[in-house]
Amino acid sequence: MGSNLYTSALSGMNAAQIGLATAQHNIVNANTPGFTRQEVLVGSRAPQSQGGSFIGQGVDVVGVKRIYDEFLTTQVRQEQTQASYLSSYHSLMGQIDNLIADPTAGASPAMQDFFNALNGVANNPESVPARQTLLGSAQFMVNRFQAIDQRLTDIANGVTNEITASVNTINAYAQQIAALNGSIKRVTATNQNGQLPNDLLDQRDQIINQLNKEIKVSVLAQPDGTATVFIGNGQALVIDEQAMSLRPVQSTTDPSKIDIAYLNGNKLSTIQQSSLQGGNLGAYLTFRDQSLEPARNALGRVAIGLADSINQQNRMGLDLNGVPGSNLFNIASPRVDNGALNTGTAVVTGAISDVSALTASDYRLSFNGTNYSMLRLSDNAVTDLGTTLPLAAVDGVTITVAGTMNAADSFLIRPTANAAGDLRVLTNDPAKIAAATPIRTSAALSNTGSANISSGTVNTPLPLDQNLLAPVKIVFNQPPTSYSLASTAASIGADIPDPVDPLVTGPTSVVTVSSTVNMAAGDPVAGGGFPAGTTILSIDSDGVTFVVQMPVGEATNPPAPATGQTLQIGSYAYTPGADISYNGWTLQISGTPNAGDTFDIAQNINASGDNRNVLLMADLQVQNLLVNGTVSFQGAYSQLVGEIGAKTHELDVTSQAQTAMLAHTIASQQSISGVNLDEEAANLLRYQHAYQAAAKAMQIAETMFDALLSLGR
Amino acid sequence: MRISSNTLFESNVAAMSQQQARLLHTQQQVSTGRRILTASDDPVAAARALDVSQSDAMNTQYAGNRNMARHTLSLAENTLQNVTLLIQDVQTATIYAGNGTLNNSDRQTIATDLSSRLQELISLANSTDGIGNYLFAGYQSRTQPFMDTSAGVSYFGDDGQRLAQVGATQQMSTSDSGADIFMRIKNGNGTFVTQAAAVNTGGGVIGTGSLANPAALTGDNYSILFAGPSAAAVTGNTGDGTISTPTVATQAAVTGNDYSVVFTAANTYDVTNTTTGATLSTGNTYISGQAISFDGLQLNIQDGTTAFIAGDSFTVSSPGYTVTNDTTSAVVLPAPPATGRLPYTSGQAISFDGMRMDIQGIPNAGDQFTVSPSVNESLFTTISNLITALNTPQGSDGSAQLTVSLNRGLNNLGNALDNILTTRSSLGLRLNEVDALQSAGEDLSLQFRQTLSDLQDVDYNKALSDLTMQQMYLEAAQKSFAQISTLSLFNYI
Repeated sequence: MGSNLYTSALSGMNAAQIGLATAQHNIVNANTPGFTRQEVLVGSRAPQSQGGSFIGQGVDVVGVKRIYDEFLTTQVRQEQTQASYLSSYHSLMGQIDNLIADPTAGASPAMQDFFNALNGVANNPESVPARQTLLGSAQFMVNRFQAIDQRLTDIANGVTNEITASVNTINAYAQQIAALNGSIKRVTATNQNGQLPNDLLDQRDQIINQLNKEIKVSVLAQPDGTATVFIGNGQALVIDEQAMSLRPVQSTTDPSKIDIAYLNGNKLSTIQQSSLQGGNLGAYLTFRDQSLEPARNALGRVAIGLADSINQQNRMGLDLNGVPGSNLFNIASPRVDNGALNTGTAVVTGAISDVSALTASDYRLSFNGTNYSMLRLSDNAVTDLGTTLPLAAVDGVTITVAGTMNAADSFLIRPTANAAGDLRVLTNDPAKIAAATPIRTSAALSNTGSANISSGTVNTPLPLDQNLLAPVKIVFNQPPTSYSLASTAASIGADIPDPVDPLVTGPTSVVTVSSTVNMAAGDPVAGGGFPAGTTILSIDSDGVTFVVQMPVGEATNPPAPATGQTLQIGSYAYTPGADISYNGWTLQISGTPNAGDTFDIAQNINASGDNRNVLLMADLQVQNLLVNGTVSFQGAYSQLVGEIGAKTHELDVTSQAQTAMLAHTIASQQSISGVNLDEEAANLLRYQHAYQAAAKAMQIAETMFDALLSLGR
Repeated sequence: MRISSNTLFESNVAAMSQQQARLLHTQQQVSTGRRILTASDDPVAAARALDVSQSDAMNTQYAGNRNMARHTLSLAENTLQNVTLLIQDVQTATIYAGNGTLNNSDRQTIATDLSSRLQELISLANSTDGIGNYLFAGYQSRTQPFMDTSAGVSYFGDDGQRLAQVGATQQMSTSDSGADIFMRIKNGNGTFVTQAAAVNTGGGVIGTGSLANPAALTGDNYSILFAGPSAAAVTGNTGDGTISTPTVATQAAVTGNDYSVVFTAANTYDVTNTTTGATLSTGNTYISGQAISFDGLQLNIQDGTTAFIAGDSFTVSSPGYTVTNDTTSAVVLPAPPATGRLPYTSGQAISFDGMRMDIQGIPNAGDQFTVSPSVNESLFTTISNLITALNTPQGSDGSAQLTVSLNRGLNNLGNALDNILTTRSSLGLRLNEVDALQSAGEDLSLQFRQTLSDLQDVDYNKALSDLTMQQMYLEAAQKSFAQISTLSLFNYI
């Protein structure tokens, strides 16, 4: 009976001691990340039967348990990966948000400066300083676009580094989890009574949690205590004690990017990038593919739209030297990247054919053996391009395929990706700004009618008509309800031998005129001494030499017209105010002309004061030239700013909400698993009292034993 | 609920850092004066602010353009004001030169004066904007537009008009071509010019005429030819009596038709209107030398040596005029199918093909007047012609030609003045429009600024009260945290 008292008291002291140790363990680990508070499990010992009744034998420590909720832990993990994803994405977006919308640093004020300078030239087309200012502001605008593009490139490079770092972190965590799996498995196996190594489990949970901040994982607990960790679409990252790893590799479709590949043993396999979700890595990839590249493309589209429109308009004018203008800006060709797995010999090049149709998306050209098709990556819209080359233009981009594409070959085409970065001003000569329109019109001072001629415009689109600058006269016939085009006879050649039967056809003569005028066989020719009824028989391919035929019955030797006389060719009905278009220009004559009234269209030489073309250039600012003619350059830029701002704003809100959600979930989890120091202080007191009580029982037993011994004295 | 000690700290720290972030944001708003610090603060307003900024900047640019336009237009207006005064001076001098008491040397003095006026005019027409750009040279602003050549003062510019973007949708021409101002001045009445033939003997004077119906104009040349009255014996008459040239007894009854006087016997005759075919009278008794009157005409027939027999006849033409289109050779008046002549009344309107004019005085038979489309005569030519006319010494009978030249000159000077005044009124209208646009632009600018301010500027009242509030919250959080963090059971054991 005595020994029973001792063992019972001892068991109580032991249990209290273990309780104290556990409370102390909880207290010292209160700040250990991932630590789960532990609790001592005690149970009463099996009783001893004595004379029909059961007598208690003391207390046993059954084990030390983690206060752990599987459900909440998993929820924390899920919230954590989403929170990391959103906050990383938000901080990355914040970088371009600050860059693009800044009222002083964005492209907006630079574009405005450029157009102001165009207006300056329009106000003073002959002023070289005004033209110099325009070139300066063009350079400033180009610098602005380049600087923004460069900043976007820097951010992209930063993201690439982050991706590599993130992959390394993931691999390190995978190794640690695998190692912990091993320890846990062995410890669990050697422990016969099924006790779990709480602190090792906490460590593993904590590392999985850290891993989750980098990438979303799913965890499957195994019966042997190990955890299997999956990423993406079910690729195992850790199985048992084995850790697989991820590798950053050059993308097969776009050599400028890195993709993530999965290394299993020695076998490297690509994984679908979009399946890598959540966490920092997910944020980097999403930001790069869905925000950064579209932003750069949209910026490029504004740059290309502006540069191309200005170029075209400049080429429709005459510069200060009196020659047609040339391109003021360099425009980058679409970037084309060969697929790394291509087997064909095809070399693909792209060209911008219509800026208004451009989108901010990238495209993939592919070939299935018979059909070419173009995939728009922004919305996965497929355009079937048929089976034969050349290919039709898609969204303003013309694709040229040289060589042969094999089935499954693909090319990544990025129409506007390089546009902002490669924008350049091509001239530093102020005279090269084509402020004037190539032609000018005038009414002869000898005109007696009241008809006016408009100043004339150049027909779009480019290229300019090769005869645009040729001088043309419009002469009104008698009666002045029709007009002819007139040209000076440069030479009148020998008569063509008399016709066989002068009764059927009249005599003919060869005429060369000084400039091309629109004429057709059968058009009447007047003036130059030719008799009434003379018509054009045939025209040479040069357009200035033609054969005229005089009416039947004229002398077989036609009258000898002199070189230098004005010939009136053709006859066109006159409608006041109607468009008259020849040689690539269009003008209107209105009012009442008299017979013989003459209007001249001539090259606009020496026209330093003509600002018609530069006014058209300045007007491009308010025209809706982009996105199928729906927005202006500034509008497209504002759209970009709005989109980036909206995305950043959205991420700001969702990331804050997610952080709050995470905090809430962690608080719930911690309310179960976290250490409360007051509680542990109470536990300390409780176990201290228990210990003291058990010790007292021991003392009582000893007193009893002493009393028993004293009986024998 | 059980609270983990860590949660207590972490949630407090997180809450405080969040409040600090808000405080910083508000403080930045206050210090920059901008409500939108980055586009994400208010994406819609940020994008719109960019658009409105562009509109505002463009509006400012248009104001600059308008100032340039006003400057150029004012220069042209000033120059043309001087030209107006100059023309008026020349007009006065020309009227004075017509004074019959002046002699050749007086007129030469006036011519000398006009020569210096011409030089002044050329220099006005070659005015520049002060930095070497000619005002009236069209597009060729660096080319001197007017120069004296052997063929008179010629224009070397072009018809170009420079435009200025004075509003978002409005362009305005800020220059006028020198050709339009100085060269393209129609002579005559601006549509057609009337002229008497040099060989006319009568006293008919044709007016400048006016435009009656622009739609009917042909642009052709016309001549007005006067004929009659006349009478003649028909070839083959037996009697050799003679007929007198008819005189007009009653102008109102004159028809302009042709008549025949036919003897039905030696002493009786009939009168027939051969134009209309109407018989006027039959069986009239013929008495040699006695007046025969019909349709306002009066004439007589006198016997010769052989008496008249039945069938002898005379033709009589009533006086009048015809109008012929010289370009098409078609008779215009009397309007076909009518033939003959129209009776002439001094000062009565003569109208054909959209034109109306009158002839005063008595033209003689065979007198001719021409009507042709107006042609351009430059102001320089008009003045040069005046100088030439004044320098030409006049004999005692040559003053008529001088008068014609001076009248022509005066008429053309009037046309030139009209042309300049038209241009000036157009300049004035444009200047008014610039002013109107300017004030509209200022209103617009105010609106843009207001919108921009509403979109992106911080509301200081709100921001400062936010700042105070956030500050208070943060302080409260800090104090309460400091207090509860000291609560621990360990303090008591």
